[in-house]
Amino acid sequence: MKYIPKAITENVNVTKVNHLQEFFVLIGGILGSFIIIYLVLGLTLDKVIEKMPAKLERTFSNLFSQAYGFKKTLPIQEQAAQNLLDQLVERISPKDPSGYAVHIVKEPVVNAVALPGGNIVLFSGLMEQVKSENELSMVLAHELGHFAHRDHLRGLGRGAVLVLLSSMFLGMDNSLTNFLMNILVTADLKHSREQEMMADQFALDLVQERYGHVGGAIDFFERLREKEKLPHFLAFFATHPHQDDRVHLLNQRIKNKGYTVGEIIAFHFTEEEKK
Amino acid sequence: MEQLLQIFLFIVTIAVAYALGSIVESEHYVSIEKREKDCLSLPVVTSYKIEEKDNILEARLVYGSVVISVDYFKRFLAVLRNFTGGRLTAYESLLDRGRREAILRMKKKAQELKADIVLNMRFETFPIGGLSSAQPGASNCFEILAYGTAVRLKS
Repeated sequence: MKYIPKAITENVNVTKVNHLQEFFVLIGGILGSFIIIYLVLGLTLDKVIEKMPAKLERTFSNLFSQAYGFKKTLPIQEQAAQNLLDQLVERISPKDPSGYAVHIVKEPVVNAVALPGGNIVLFSGLMEQVKSENELSMVLAHELGHFAHRDHLRGLGRGAVLVLLSSMFLGMDNSLTNFLMNILVTADLKHSREQEMMADQFALDLVQERYGHVGGAIDFFERLREKEKLPHFLAFFATHPHQDDRVHLLNQRIKNKGYTVGEIIAFHFTEEEKK
Repeated sequence: MEQLLQIFLFIVTIAVAYALGSIVESEHYVSIEKREKDCLSLPVVTSYKIEEKDNILEARLVYGSVVISVDYFKRFLAVLRNFTGGRLTAYESLLDRGRREAILRMKKKAQELKADIVLNMRFETFPIGGLSSAQPGASNCFEILAYGTAVRLKS
């Protein structure tokens, strides 16, 4: 037997494919199905939450509110804010004005949160910034707007969908799950910004109803705008709308509805009361 | 903001890994093809018998081993493919390169022994290291061992 050396030129063991193309097809398909599942589940939850009877919501919310355990840290400020809130609530639900409670938490954060169970948390950082009663009413009315639109429950519902999806796919691979979750969270921020704008509009109407004018309502956002150094293009990645857009939209509504600017009631605490 | 940064970093990593992986792979193939041509005169077969069995001067075990890893881009591509199922083409070139490299190393050893033929050539493939805890059984790193019997004949 004679051996004749011969080189094999073609390679059957390696498929000639464009890996980059394969990558885009796969990531597009998987991400697409993720988003579809998320949207379908999210929209279903939205519908369920809208149809949820108030009584069931109360029971559900009480489960959460018990877990917070708020302390009365700043009683004087808290009482003042509670009075403002009660006056606002009287306008929207005169039959049940006691459903909402204000809590002040000592944190140097300029923010407020609507929690299930009708709890509104104001951070002391925000209280420092507030200059008039009208401003604080606007902030409280904004949070009431979230309650009215049931955004606090929606947020929980969507959070649950995210947790469900991530735990379903976590077994797959951490790097992939992280990547997909990051994209989903970013995509959902638009929804979050829309909720904020809706709450703003609600708040403006409520403040108009309460005071008969909208003086001071936008001041707080105006002041935030001056502090905000975030470039406009990054607004896509924020949970809240860009302050420029916010102020612009509010001003537009004031113009369209013909709201007027009246006298602002000053709001001020002595150093003693701040303790 | 944080999400944006993470997505951005991930895309950069994938792009860099793709570029580097492609360069390394094509250079490796150039080297493999050149060396294969150089040692073409030494036959390697899987049979364990030869006709000239009375003519054997010396028989020795020869082996060539290589440890090879897949790049980050292909690793991620494989993760995606694992989700949908199907042929894992991303790993094909990795194992092909590994096997050919292992044979080349084995042949080099046989040439040093002045062998005329390598009989009974076999492969072993072991996944080593790089085991992902989230995905038991998946590996990104392999050792490929080619071994056989180098035979020197009486001239």
